[in-house]
Amino acid sequence: MQAFQPVLPAARKAMQETGRLTVVALGSSTTAGSGASAEDRSYPFVLQTELRRRLPGAEVRVLNKGVGGQSAYDMLLRMDTDVIEEKPSIVIWQTVVNDAIRDIGTEKLTKILRKGIAKARAAGIDMILMDLPWLPREERYPQLDDYRAVLTKTAEQQGAALFPRYAMMKGWSRSKQFTEEELVGMDGLHLVDAGYRCLASRIADGIFAAVGDIRIRTVSKKAETVD
Amino acid sequence: MSLDSSFKRFMLFGRPAEGGALRAAGRDTRIDMVRGLALLIIFINHMPGNVVSAYMPNNFGFSDAADAFVLLAGVSATFAYGGLIETRGFSIAALKLGGRLWTLYIAHLAVFILVCGVIAVAVTQTQNPLYIEAINIQPFFRDTGEALIGALTLTYQPSYLDILPLYIVLLALFPAIYYGVRLSPALTLFCSLAIWQVALALDLHLPNSGGHWFFNPFAWQVIFTLGVILGRSVQLGVTMPRLRWLDAAAVAFLLFAWLVKIPTGNPTGVALLNDWFDSVQLGSDKTNLAWSRLFHLGALAWLVIRWLPAGGMLTRSVVGRALACSGRNSLHVFCVGIVLAIIGQIVLAETSFALDVQLLLCAGGVTLLTGLGIFLSWYRSITSRDQRAEPAKAPGVASSAQARLPSFSSR
Repeated sequence: MQAFQPVLPAARKAMQETGRLTVVALGSSTTAGSGASAEDRSYPFVLQTELRRRLPGAEVRVLNKGVGGQSAYDMLLRMDTDVIEEKPSIVIWQTVVNDAIRDIGTEKLTKILRKGIAKARAAGIDMILMDLPWLPREERYPQLDDYRAVLTKTAEQQGAALFPRYAMMKGWSRSKQFTEEELVGMDGLHLVDAGYRCLASRIADGIFAAVGDIRIRTVSKKAETVD
Repeated sequence: MSLDSSFKRFMLFGRPAEGGALRAAGRDTRIDMVRGLALLIIFINHMPGNVVSAYMPNNFGFSDAADAFVLLAGVSATFAYGGLIETRGFSIAALKLGGRLWTLYIAHLAVFILVCGVIAVAVTQTQNPLYIEAINIQPFFRDTGEALIGALTLTYQPSYLDILPLYIVLLALFPAIYYGVRLSPALTLFCSLAIWQVALALDLHLPNSGGHWFFNPFAWQVIFTLGVILGRSVQLGVTMPRLRWLDAAAVAFLLFAWLVKIPTGNPTGVALLNDWFDSVQLGSDKTNLAWSRLFHLGALAWLVIRWLPAGGMLTRSVVGRALACSGRNSLHVFCVGIVLAIIGQIVLAETSFALDVQLLLCAGGVTLLTGLGIFLSWYRSITSRDQRAEPAKAPGVASSAQARLPSFSSR
């Protein structure tokens, strides 16, 4: 399975200087939390809990800016108010699924993603792009592969981290760790609680690996001053 | 007095044409025809990813069928309720308008429930979760109670179910806009544009489950207001001035839009224009309207008014009359079109977007919707046959009522 080892210089620096980590989860319904039995079990909420557990002493906030049904362009328009104004050090952008269903054109999508990544970079925010979900019976949308390719290629070219959700879900389905219901719930796409927890844990692991060792120093420094 | 100055008198003071009495505005077939066409285009565009949608007008210009639909909604509202205000007074018109708003509201809720049901069946039968994503219907399955309240208060609108709420708000605003236009179309238009720009600056929106309304009423009222002005000018018998230069400018603008939309990227090579080209090509702002959309619609409307005669060949042709039947029953055709398009999306995915299925769906849907329009027109004609006497006596009633009623206009 693909590893998730993002390089997050802005987050690392913010942690080092302020002990603060703010993450904005920008996305459509996976982010908004559909399928989870309660909104406080959406993946951004679990991510916040997981990060706080891994980074005690740091001030961790994960803001949920998911709006169901939105396209990459809709989210690009929200980038200023919903992401940059919140002054996060990381933005996790979960997108492309609606653009793939609507087949907006891969060239168009490439441009939109590039603009989004450039916007975050200009504001000094680390970008993590979330890969598409894995779906049972993918041949329903023959164009889905092309859009996934655009997503992974653009992330690579623009130096944005990619969270390998597709590979992860496919691995889960193969390994039979989860029943299909547990993995995708009644609607087959949206992770149910167990899936959200795993997704959030994997992201938290990656972020922790990228900024974690800083935390130890910050906390110990704090501890010293308290003493 | 020249046509030109009579047009100015109308725009500034809402005055009728010299000697032009208030017209009992009969149905203009052109309006029904364009409305019918817009409905079919909306149907095709609501099945994204099908080959036919690549040839729909939004690919060749800034505005699309929704803009035309809202403009004509303004025109039709003026003929129906503006006419009623003139002939029977505000209270009767307001009652009628209230009845219509209620019908629209119920229609919206009916479509909402039908769509939720269609998606529920599709997802349980096919195990494909993306249907929920495509229509943004997950709030309904996540928290049905909350979503139901959202649907009733119009604060939860799944994708494709956002036009009727806009129409409800605009129609509710109609009396205010209409009285404004009676006083001065120019002033009303100015206020309308100002409200749009202020709303843009202050980021004013109506809420929709986490985000906001796809069609921002603070912006789209501009197009509706333009429709009311257009309708009022017809009502007062004001003829548009014959401006050759404006014809040329309109054609030039449509060509310009076409040249901008067709290529990808910025063909001019002027770096300063890169952002503008991107903003137009990646998706011109439909939520908040955009000047480019407004000008494009204006240019189209101007050319139709100038060069498509009311009783011309096109409106009398079989196609024209069939489209007009759909346009005349636009609420029914629209609602059925939404449900059909969403069923179509499911069929497309289940057949892996096979080309023959795509073409069959488009042709079948268009036939069904047109057939529905023709059927409803026929149904109405046979059920209202016994009331035939009424229209004949209407003009007399209208003019006497008009004489009796107080008039708010500056006449």
